[in-house]
Amino acid sequence: MEFLDKYLLSILIFLPLVGAALTLVGKDRNQVRWTALITTLVTFVLSLLLLATYNWSSTNANYDYASNHGVVQMVTRLNWIPAFNIQYLVGIDGLSLPLVLLSTFVCVLACLASWNIDKMTKGYFALFLMLESGILGVFLSLDFFLFYVFFELSLLPMYFLIGIWGGPRKEYAAIKFFLYTLVGSVGLLIVLIGTWLYTKQITGLPTGSFDLIYLASAGVQGKLASNPYFFNTVAPIFFLLAMLGFLIKVPAVPFHTWLPDAHVEAPTPISMILAALLLKMGGYGIFRIAYPLFPEAAKHFWLLIAIIGVVSIIYGALCAMAQTDFKKLVAYSSVSHMGYVVLGAAMLTTAGFNGALFMMISHGITSAMMFFIVGVVYERAHHRDLNRFGGLATTMPVYTGLSTVGMFANLGLPGLCGFIGELMVLLGSFAAAKPGTILYERFAAMGPASLQGYLTSVYTLAVIACFGVVLTAAYMLWTIQRVYFGPEKPEYKSFPDMTAREITVLTPLAIMAVLLGVLPSVFFFMFTDRTVEALSKLF
Amino acid sequence: MLGITLAVGLPYIPSMTQLQPFAAELCLIVGIVAILLLPFFARKTNVGTGAVALITLGVALLAVLFCKVQPGEQFRGLLLSDSVATFWKMLLLAFTAGIVVMWFATTRLKMHEGDAPEFFTLLLTATLGMCLMASTANLLMLIIAVEMASLPSYVLAGFRKTHRLGAEASLKYVLFGAATSAVMVYGLSLLYGMFGTLQMDGPAGIAATIARQGGPAPLLLFSMMAVIVGIGFKISAVPLHFWCPDVFEGASIEVSAFLSVASKGAAILLLVRLCMIVAAAMGFRDGQVALSLLAVTLGVIGAITATVGNTAAFTQNNIKRLLAWSSIAHAGYMLCGVSLLVAKGSDIVTPAGVNLPVQALLIYLAVYLFMNLGAFTVAAVIYRETGSEDIREYAGMSRRAPLLALTMIVFMFSLVGLPPFAGFSAKLNLMWRLAENGSWWWLLVGVIAANTVFSLYYYSRVVKAMFLTPSDKPAIQTGFAGTGLALICAVMLLAMFFGFSPFNEMTGIAASMGLR
Repeated sequence: MEFLDKYLLSILIFLPLVGAALTLVGKDRNQVRWTALITTLVTFVLSLLLLATYNWSSTNANYDYASNHGVVQMVTRLNWIPAFNIQYLVGIDGLSLPLVLLSTFVCVLACLASWNIDKMTKGYFALFLMLESGILGVFLSLDFFLFYVFFELSLLPMYFLIGIWGGPRKEYAAIKFFLYTLVGSVGLLIVLIGTWLYTKQITGLPTGSFDLIYLASAGVQGKLASNPYFFNTVAPIFFLLAMLGFLIKVPAVPFHTWLPDAHVEAPTPISMILAALLLKMGGYGIFRIAYPLFPEAAKHFWLLIAIIGVVSIIYGALCAMAQTDFKKLVAYSSVSHMGYVVLGAAMLTTAGFNGALFMMISHGITSAMMFFIVGVVYERAHHRDLNRFGGLATTMPVYTGLSTVGMFANLGLPGLCGFIGELMVLLGSFAAAKPGTILYERFAAMGPASLQGYLTSVYTLAVIACFGVVLTAAYMLWTIQRVYFGPEKPEYKSFPDMTAREITVLTPLAIMAVLLGVLPSVFFFMFTDRTVEALSKLF
Repeated sequence: MLGITLAVGLPYIPSMTQLQPFAAELCLIVGIVAILLLPFFARKTNVGTGAVALITLGVALLAVLFCKVQPGEQFRGLLLSDSVATFWKMLLLAFTAGIVVMWFATTRLKMHEGDAPEFFTLLLTATLGMCLMASTANLLMLIIAVEMASLPSYVLAGFRKTHRLGAEASLKYVLFGAATSAVMVYGLSLLYGMFGTLQMDGPAGIAATIARQGGPAPLLLFSMMAVIVGIGFKISAVPLHFWCPDVFEGASIEVSAFLSVASKGAAILLLVRLCMIVAAAMGFRDGQVALSLLAVTLGVIGAITATVGNTAAFTQNNIKRLLAWSSIAHAGYMLCGVSLLVAKGSDIVTPAGVNLPVQALLIYLAVYLFMNLGAFTVAAVIYRETGSEDIREYAGMSRRAPLLALTMIVFMFSLVGLPPFAGFSAKLNLMWRLAENGSWWWLLVGVIAANTVFSLYYYSRVVKAMFLTPSDKPAIQTGFAGTGLALICAVMLLAMFFGFSPFNEMTGIAASMGLR
């Protein structure tokens, strides 16, 4: 246990890299893909150990280390560049734990989904595993610099995975993805430098710090807040720059245009990873960096962020409805669903936070499902035009059955995971109008007029967001109708149903969608409750 | 003229302690003479002179590493020996050795028998001049050093005698160079006229004189600007950058590589020396306004240079032109660092005596050296095998030359400034030093950050051609020397990122010990 406590997280991060090296020396295609699959499987099993090593019994809900009793546990801390106080600092809490499990889980399935890749197999699986390493690194690092390095590190493999193994416009999509994300991360870089320098200057310590938990602690935040220049001018700018970086990654409207291109061109398994995991890096960054480091700015800009969230929900859904390309539809539905994450964060209520975190996991599962569903039919039909499909239910009954689970989970049918996320975020949004919540108290202190204005905007936004649920249902149902129902078409008659491998990929996801939908309380109880409580104390 | 008459009139024999810091230069001189004499004893000289040049550089490098450096002025204040000069000589000699290896890997096969002695004489002479540029302490020595570096460079640029572009490049280079040199010498003559001494530092030096007399700030500023024109030409700062893409395109590839790092690096260090002296002197008296004007000018030039370099590179298809614009952009980043140095002078020194902007520049130069050497090496090997410098011809290199293509990823993304490559560390460190000083330095940080995004586009075009564009052309023979050199550079870039801590300490020592 001692050993696991200390090294498990580092093993998780670097094991896929070792696997990547092993794939490069693999002799033939079969050896390479088995190496990759075994690596992802071992990583997944090891990540399940986290459930055992994480100390659940503690009742301490503070956003700090406090050995193994605080929220953040299993911390490994090594000096990397002492001159800048840059550390190799990894740790885990209720924010990252579910995302880590999701990552290792989806990576196994995406690896299975990549089974048929036959172009430069070695390179593909090596990059795939490097990508997994980068993703896990982002979710596990608690040092801002380390986070940034992993954040960028995950870009490079993605660029090549889209660019080499993608569709007809792969080159355009790859560079567009890269450029968009780099714009965001360059802003993040400025925040990175600035936070360190201002912390050093204001706290008067000999060096600044990149320790994300320490930077969010009351001691540091109190000192930062006491400096009017930082408080009024610098912090808002930094908050907006950091949010820009993460909102591009999420992606929220109006920074979302890279997503449909990237998704349409990326090969199926890479789309699964992109939607299920890479977008979550944005959401995770909001909760780990932007909000805890600049809590006052987060309160100040709540309306802007909430509007971005609501616009993403509605605009994403409307765009999805207008698509005739199956994959583009799913891509826009991602924009819409990630909008809930942004909205949940903006409202600053515990229900909203919980909902946003749940939404990230549930979207991770449903979007991976959806992209795989598209992949299955694309492999057979070689097109993705929704209007040309129809009647697949009779030729591919198993496929239709599993797909419907995925689609209903995505549209938010009660009993499936999508519903809980949407519901919690919407509840959280309405809850923001109740006394006792962070924003309510803030506006109540400003006087009745501003409180009235605040309540109006909360209700307006929440009601508009509710329409997103209807729109989602509309385009998802319409899709089901167009693809699976209707008269059998002769050109699809010869399609074989799903292979055993395809069923193996989809079934675990479907099971998870149901489990999370039926027993969401387990998720909240185990993972997020205590962390969300700790996070809420920061504001 | 007093300094010269003194030097001529009295017999002067330097002591061993004075000679020791310049062991590398002495080695170079011996090597140059040896190369000049070699054709008298051998018929086929190309390989032989290359080997002699490589040995000379190796010995000179060892001399730098092992000879004790007595910080201070040597040869009656003509030259300066300190840790910055030593560090630069180390970089430059290692880099030039890399250039010779590159020559072995590529141009050796094409070069006309009997041309190599001239080529290496010129190369080593230019190297000697660049060594001296970084350690000059006297205005006259400054001119000699700059010209010693420039004149061979002009010839080197046109060394491909049958190549029309080469001749054009050489002519363009020499005309631009002569004009800017003239402006620089004019500026230096004004400095001499104002202060009556050629010594830049020391008891009767310019710094001391300005500090004592206050100094006529506007005239001083004007003459400094004139000197900056001369040095800015070598750095290829906008608007003196026009020669750079043409010369790089016309010159043979190892010469372009040599100019891109050695010539610019030496000029940057010369500028650092001048600026530190002037800044220290002006800051001492009421030259603050002139000083901040100088700093702002350099900062603005730096920002414009970086932006122009990066945006002009967008449409380049010739890899040498692309790297030329890229080198202009990087020179712009470094000028931002120099601007900081001018503004803050010796204020930003750690308790341990490390001058932080100088350290940032040294880090940047060291990293930039490996990035450019590597990128040019890959381009050179591909040129040797395919005869093309067009990046559209790089299609499918991931299959045709996998190892080279892999190293090219490192160089290109390192030039962009992405982790986990040292280009990121160097850029971050520079931005950090700028940001540390708050206020409007954040603007420069913003410019550098925005430029990082611009630059991704064109660097990634090279990677795109190599990896994303398929091609059915046959695999190419990369050869041992070229691949080895590229691999060393790539490994260095990774090592300097992960081992940034020791690298940082090393440059810290270089930027502190005996620096004036």
